Amino acid sequence: MTAVQPAGGGGGGGGLDRPSSSGLADVIDTILDKGLVIDAYVRVSLVGIELLTIDARIVVASVDTYLRFAEAVNRLDISGTEQKGLPDLVEGVASGGSKAKTKGALEAAGDKLKDLLGDEEDTTQSRGRS
Amino acid sequence: MAEEETGVYIYGILPADVETDPRARGIGDPPGKVAVVKHNEIAALVSHLGAVDALGTPDDLTAHAELLDAAASEVPVLPLRFGAVVTDEDAVVDELLAPHHDEFAAALAELEGKAQYVLKARYIEENVLRELIDGDAEMSQLRDAIRGKPEDATRNERIALGERIGQAIAALREQDTQYVVEALEPLNLPINLREPTHDEDAVHLAFLVDVAKRDDVEAALERLAQEWQDRARVSLLGPMAAYDFVVTQKPGT
Repeated sequence: MTAVQPAGGGGGGGGLDRPSSSGLADVIDTILDKGLVIDAYVRVSLVGIELLTIDARIVVASVDTYLRFAEAVNRLDISGTEQKGLPDLVEGVASGGSKAKTKGALEAAGDKLKDLLGDEEDTTQSRGRS
Repeated sequence: MAEEETGVYIYGILPADVETDPRARGIGDPPGKVAVVKHNEIAALVSHLGAVDALGTPDDLTAHAELLDAAASEVPVLPLRFGAVVTDEDAVVDELLAPHHDEFAAALAELEGKAQYVLKARYIEENVLRELIDGDAEMSQLRDAIRGKPEDATRNERIALGERIGQAIAALREQDTQYVVEALEPLNLPINLREPTHDEDAVHLAFLVDVAKRDDVEAALERLAQEWQDRARVSLLGPMAAYDFVVTQKPGT
């Protein structure tokens, strides 16, 4: 099974999404924050090695977040009101939403993570849309 | 090959009767060859780490996770948090495996036949915003106040609206998480609630499932995904090593 799939999710449709591999962001949530801690077992032979600074992502309420929500509402209002319910709209809404979500994911990830990921942004983005 | 070496990187602990896939590649650049260091009934999955200054590139992180997840699909595994390095293979036995043999063996026995999954649901922004705002007079008013107006002129209203939305989503998240926990209750799974990692996360939790119950769990989550079709995208990650269900003893407590 390949991990290549349309990042937009093919215009929605329900169903349980079963990604065949975890994106980098999901990996970070798990392996940096969970699991047995070596220091609790090994003292003498521990090799202290620097870890590139990556913080597990957390959600922090901020003015930026609020402004982003407000903008999302504004956009929703313009694109939604008179066309609501048309099947054609579904596609437009879905792609607009993906953009907003991706942006949110990157912001939530923080600058350090963003810097580190660099050219790995694709991973983060496809995760953001999943 | 006589390059200087940083040490031995440890991925996790598993039963001694395993063999590594010769194609398995570890962390580092070039990736280290993965080996098993055994002691009685248990073993550590390791690789030798060449000279490195720091760990944690995207490749490193992915290699750690993929190796353990692949192992966990075959045998029980106690995953270590990323970044465990000791001086040499002797240290793996003398300081890690031998002194804690029984404790690790017991934990592995408990994980036999079980796998961890992570359930994530993310609200579909447009729909959840509509739902929240239409049901709230104050937010509807603020929405009308900013409609079509430049951002600078309506900054205060935007902040007020956004803050209310944030709070409403947090409340909705709590409610929806509880809903999912209750939906899973009949299956009697250990569940670990995780912190949200995105403003629009609806649910984020890990659970441990017996292989025999896997189809039931997937069916339950498939129903949830259908039910929430217009509300949130539901995804299930795994099977993976049981990161959320192995607990380090706290020394001195």
